[in-house]
Amino acid sequence: MSSNIRSLLSELSKRIGKEKIFTEPEELYSYSVDASTEFKQPPAALVRASSEEDVRAVLELADRERVPVVPRGSGTSLSGGSVPAVPGAIVLDLTPMNRIEVNIDDGYVMAEAGATVLEVDKACRSYGFFFPPDPASSRIATIGGSLAENAGGLRGAKFGVMKNWVLAMEAILPGGKKLRIGEPVYKWRWGPDLMSLFIGSEGTLGVITRAWLKIYPLPEKVVRVLGVFDRIEDAGKAISQIRRRGYVPMVLELLDRETIEIVNESLGYNIEVAEGMVMADVDGPRESVWRIAREVENVIKDCGGRARASDDPEEMEQLYLARQGAYAAVTRAYPGVLLEDITVPLSKLMEALRELDRMRKEYGLRMPVFGHAGDGNLHPNICFDPRDEEQLRKARELFVKTGQLAIKLGGAISGEHGIGLAKKELFLEEIKAVRGEGYVEVVKMIKQLLDPNGIMNPGKIFL
Amino acid sequence: MGSIVPEVVNFAARNTKEVGDVLGIGASKRVEWAKGLLEGGPVNGTIFYAGEMYPVMGYSEGAFRILRRVEGLMEINHLAKIGPIMRKLGIYTVGMNSLWGGINKRYEKALQDAVKVLKGLGVEIGFLFEDEPPSGVALHTYGLLREFKEHANWVRERFKELGVKRIVTLDPIVATAFRLYYPEFVDGWDIECYHFVEVVAERIAELGLKFDLGRKIRVTYHDPCYLSRTLGVVDEVRFILSRIDGVELVEPERRGIFTGCSGDGGLELTQPPVARKVSLDRVMELKRTGASLVLTSCPACILMLRTGFDSIGHRIEVEDLASLIAEAMARGSERVESELKNFKRYKVFPKSPHFDSLSLEDLSKVLKMETDRCKKCGFCNVECPTSKAMNRLESRSSRGRVTLINSLVGGDPVRPKEVLDRLYTCVLCGRCSQECPAGLHVQELIVYGRAYAIYSGTVP
Repeated sequence: MSSNIRSLLSELSKRIGKEKIFTEPEELYSYSVDASTEFKQPPAALVRASSEEDVRAVLELADRERVPVVPRGSGTSLSGGSVPAVPGAIVLDLTPMNRIEVNIDDGYVMAEAGATVLEVDKACRSYGFFFPPDPASSRIATIGGSLAENAGGLRGAKFGVMKNWVLAMEAILPGGKKLRIGEPVYKWRWGPDLMSLFIGSEGTLGVITRAWLKIYPLPEKVVRVLGVFDRIEDAGKAISQIRRRGYVPMVLELLDRETIEIVNESLGYNIEVAEGMVMADVDGPRESVWRIAREVENVIKDCGGRARASDDPEEMEQLYLARQGAYAAVTRAYPGVLLEDITVPLSKLMEALRELDRMRKEYGLRMPVFGHAGDGNLHPNICFDPRDEEQLRKARELFVKTGQLAIKLGGAISGEHGIGLAKKELFLEEIKAVRGEGYVEVVKMIKQLLDPNGIMNPGKIFL
Repeated sequence: MGSIVPEVVNFAARNTKEVGDVLGIGASKRVEWAKGLLEGGPVNGTIFYAGEMYPVMGYSEGAFRILRRVEGLMEINHLAKIGPIMRKLGIYTVGMNSLWGGINKRYEKALQDAVKVLKGLGVEIGFLFEDEPPSGVALHTYGLLREFKEHANWVRERFKELGVKRIVTLDPIVATAFRLYYPEFVDGWDIECYHFVEVVAERIAELGLKFDLGRKIRVTYHDPCYLSRTLGVVDEVRFILSRIDGVELVEPERRGIFTGCSGDGGLELTQPPVARKVSLDRVMELKRTGASLVLTSCPACILMLRTGFDSIGHRIEVEDLASLIAEAMARGSERVESELKNFKRYKVFPKSPHFDSLSLEDLSKVLKMETDRCKKCGFCNVECPTSKAMNRLESRSSRGRVTLINSLVGGDPVRPKEVLDRLYTCVLCGRCSQECPAGLHVQELIVYGRAYAIYSGTVP
């Protein structure tokens, strides 16, 4: 341990208490990984913050001693956001800060960074409201992490991503200064939008400590529509047509043949195997929801699919089986999976699906594709045997090629999982292709202003 | 020998091997409850197996109660040190009995009730008395797998000599040992083992019996993880209770195969503060049901729930389901339609990983392969009772423990003793495995991970 960390920890332990600081290798190694599984780097120390004051103390001392700080929620990042990129860092665990307060009259919920997305959602539900963003990891993913990564989820088709749901937030900057952005009111005249600057910044600018989030009334009724297709392009077409004709289902998911096959193989299900499957959750007032569901069914049929709709909870669950089991099935079947997260314009969905199919054949790897296609977001899962070096090489190459496909089609290399360590190079490629060099320059200038000593999650994105 | 195993686990292991039970109370005390109730030796190859926990659980309860009261001044490790000295002086068992014999009577009563119920239903059983070999399940729990293997093979020989073909037991932990662990560790293991609840439910259905408790009572049932999640026995309990008039069952939030842990799994010895926090969570949940009696089917759960309710000052009885059935049966029965019921056997866990041997090489090979499959999604942490109790500290949570095993067998600079310490914070409740998308048998990995840590960290 270097002398600057040692002096930092000694002062920190006086300020926040030694019980919040851990340096045993066993503690550090248990915080050396996240759900990206590809990266591993134990920190030099783990600090578990239970108050804003704790965070301020860490950022003040770390800035003074030039010690890198990696903020961490539950460590569910799929892009390595919570794994230190460099040795000698402090991992700042925010999960003990998990207070939630619902203000139903003013229409918001206040959540500290360490509260889980699901707990926030649950707290609202007792009032007849809910918190719409729902990353697949919502049962454990924290609000702080989801904001830092600008996470999305299944309901993104209608409700967008985290950034669409924030009224106000607080963050601590390197040096320990507190920054409050916005107010928990629905209208607030913005100056330069600092909120958007922090959301999605992956912990590279400061530490988000709490946020005031919008809430939404629970839908009166939901009808689930399932479309089954003999051609994957038709499934893609149906999704873009549903949106094109003005329907906005709460959930609009797509699964391809390989996904259904793997779900059947690995979980022992007996789901009808088809080239493509579309699942739409139509929500709305009791009186009109079935009419809209029927219209969505008609779009599916117009695009060459077979449709089935239900509002019976058990049958709805049955229709959801394949989607629900997709992640588990892939992870059970393959010890090595590179999970892609590309987004393409809706009009390019068909082309993207065709091209992905061609690519997996070219590489001879299984690559089940599922995702929140309603917002153009696809998750190709590149499967391989990690013990086979040739397969690993091919998988990595295919990962890059998939990202490049998104860029070529005018999309993005990450819809919701973040850049972190996994997509640094691809991100620069995307920027070069579509955003021009000014973007990098401006962001680097902002980084320099807010974090002159470069202590915040160094080595992530391009910072 | 430079064993890294904590003194208290050494104490428990030594007692299990030498005297037969964790606290070292001894076989003569363990069989007292059965005198005059059962005949010696198997009947038609069948025995009632008391095991090494139920008959002496009251002594553990007594000891843990005292230790809770003197927290900070004395801990279980002290008892582990004093115990052998007291035994040498010949005052250990006598001392234990005078202190906690009274508490133990309640556990002995559960065994007596179970036997009365089985006999009342015409189940033919004998008892091995002092010849009953201990299952040695504690050795398995604490990861002393080489010792467990040796012991299990000895038990197999003893059963063979004594003509045992079938076992009925009230203890779901030993039932799990005989049903799942023994076949893995003993070649040609062919002794059937049933839990009391399975046998009773089947007989009640077959004979078409109904009982009347003669009073009205609101009960809740705490599913022991070994019985529900591990053995898949859930519906039998509900069926039995539905056949007793006067009993109203109010289920807790976490029940059946999704039951919550009562806090032991060996933790009361290795990590008492964690065990107590887990137990507190569960007793609060059971209290919320508004029941006036808590039933369960596991001696360790009874202990943890009793002491847990005491710690929150909630006066409520916790007893084995067998005692309620015995009470109802004592008032007679009426015949309803007889039926052959095929109770659903829930299959919760994936297949156990296969280890060719207990050599460090084989242990590390399989542990590495299995823990590499962990996707670090952390879903297991959400329901992990010790994660919650330890304020979500990763190394005391399911995912963190799997990560640490991976680090240990992968050659990261982590220390076996310290890893073992963290692995000993797991209650082995198996809730994590239910949540694992990758289908890992997490609690098995923990047990084998403990074994690896112990044998790799022990300096001969």
